[in-house]
Amino acid sequence: MSDEKNFILDVDNLSIYYGNFQAVKDVSFHVKAGEIFGLLGPNGAGKTSTLSAIDGLLKPHSGIIVVAGYNTKEKPLYAKASMGIQLQSTNFQPELTVEEIIELFAGIYGVDLSKQKLDKLISENNLQESRNKKFGQLSGGQQQRVSLSLCVLHDPKLLLLDEPTTGLDPQSRRQLWERMEAMREKGHGILLTTHSMEEAEAVCDRIAIIDHGKIIEIGVPQTLIDKHRNDPEVIAVSRKGKITLEDVFIGLTGREVRV
Amino acid sequence: MQTNVPTTSTVLQSLLRADLKTQWRNRRAVILTIAVPVLILYAWRPLVEKAGGPFILGSCITVGLMATGLMGYTNSIAKDRDKGIFQRLRVAPLPSWTIMASRLLVQLLMIFIITGAVLISGYALDNITIPLAGYALAFLAAIVGAAVYLALGQLIVGLIKNPEIVNATTRLVYFVFIMVGMFGSTGLLGKITEQYVIWTPYGTVQTIIAGAVDPSKWTTTTTQALLVTIGYAVVLFVIGIRKFQWSYK
Repeated sequence: MSDEKNFILDVDNLSIYYGNFQAVKDVSFHVKAGEIFGLLGPNGAGKTSTLSAIDGLLKPHSGIIVVAGYNTKEKPLYAKASMGIQLQSTNFQPELTVEEIIELFAGIYGVDLSKQKLDKLISENNLQESRNKKFGQLSGGQQQRVSLSLCVLHDPKLLLLDEPTTGLDPQSRRQLWERMEAMREKGHGILLTTHSMEEAEAVCDRIAIIDHGKIIEIGVPQTLIDKHRNDPEVIAVSRKGKITLEDVFIGLTGREVRV
Repeated sequence: MQTNVPTTSTVLQSLLRADLKTQWRNRRAVILTIAVPVLILYAWRPLVEKAGGPFILGSCITVGLMATGLMGYTNSIAKDRDKGIFQRLRVAPLPSWTIMASRLLVQLLMIFIITGAVLISGYALDNITIPLAGYALAFLAAIVGAAVYLALGQLIVGLIKNPEIVNATTRLVYFVFIMVGMFGSTGLLGKITEQYVIWTPYGTVQTIIAGAVDPSKWTTTTTQALLVTIGYAVVLFVIGIRKFQWSYK
């Protein structure tokens, strides 16, 4: 096993089955403190299954997951308390206001939420105007911001963001990238899944490309581009003569559309 | 960046506060849940003399418990599961059972409100007086009785994933229980039905509440009804919990 002391997240030989179908096959990777790590893959590649095993929603068939030094199997509550999580389809009680939801999660994460801290969290996430609105009355972007504010509420060592910019307008997306970079500067580790190659290139320090449940490439985005720029499959899918991360991704995972 | 795991009681308090607020914001549904048994109580005024106060109170409390256990609890669980609310809670550092415990504590409060409302209305509308011990025992019997409907709701939400179908099923079961249970127990559906209705989930609960309201009339049949009620609750809860999934996605 890798030296977990330097890693905020260490996934070692993870395998996940749904019945007889193996969705994740011996996946291993790590995320360091102060690093944004992107997990990229086509639909059904195993990204969300991997994330679900890390956040405790799925029980892996085998493998070891260590979050901030806590084995998720042996110390699940400590591992969960070390993570800030934004799920792909997160929802909160539509009857509760933004403030009430933040208070609920502050209680759940054991955060002493002073008025000052609440105000700061709300203003950092541009939720001033909607703080007393019920969650069910918020727009998609506002709901996304509430979800993100809860992610960082307890100052977690690791952030798990499952396609966080889906459905966001360019301004909100850019703002989220800046927030992720600010979190990285503070020493948080971030594991991000995304379908946007532009996003992966823009914010990720390292990426892993997963397909059919296996990691097929792992490394720095530019290094991967340089490594594969002469592959015939990559050249075949490139547009306008310039090799991008998207060309490498499609070259490695194939052109067929996954559902 | 310290790792802090809150105590279970802190987590439970936070969940309970949020669940109570949610229940309060849905107070129209709560008022309807209380209004139906009170309306039945009012409509059955002429029957008090013939059927007896405990029977009437038992029937009305049972109808209220069915509404809150079967429809209120079950539909909120199905809806929140479908929306992914449970999934977000489950990735937080809390034992999963606290999520359900908080929901059940809110139901406990509803049981007290319904039972209290029917007992007070019984006195105010129908002039039904019961001994002091009857009040305390009625609340205890209501908890045992409500457990059957909560367990039945748990089973429904364990077997059916679509919240719309859960909603339709609970309404259907509620309607069947009221029609067969209430009218069957009064003899309107014939002698044979009256004989068997007492052992249905409606009949046993109605019997134990009526027996608790007037402890002097507690009989062997009431004790048997209590045992059957507990049996129903245990069996339905065990199957319901085993079949329950936090998410179908």
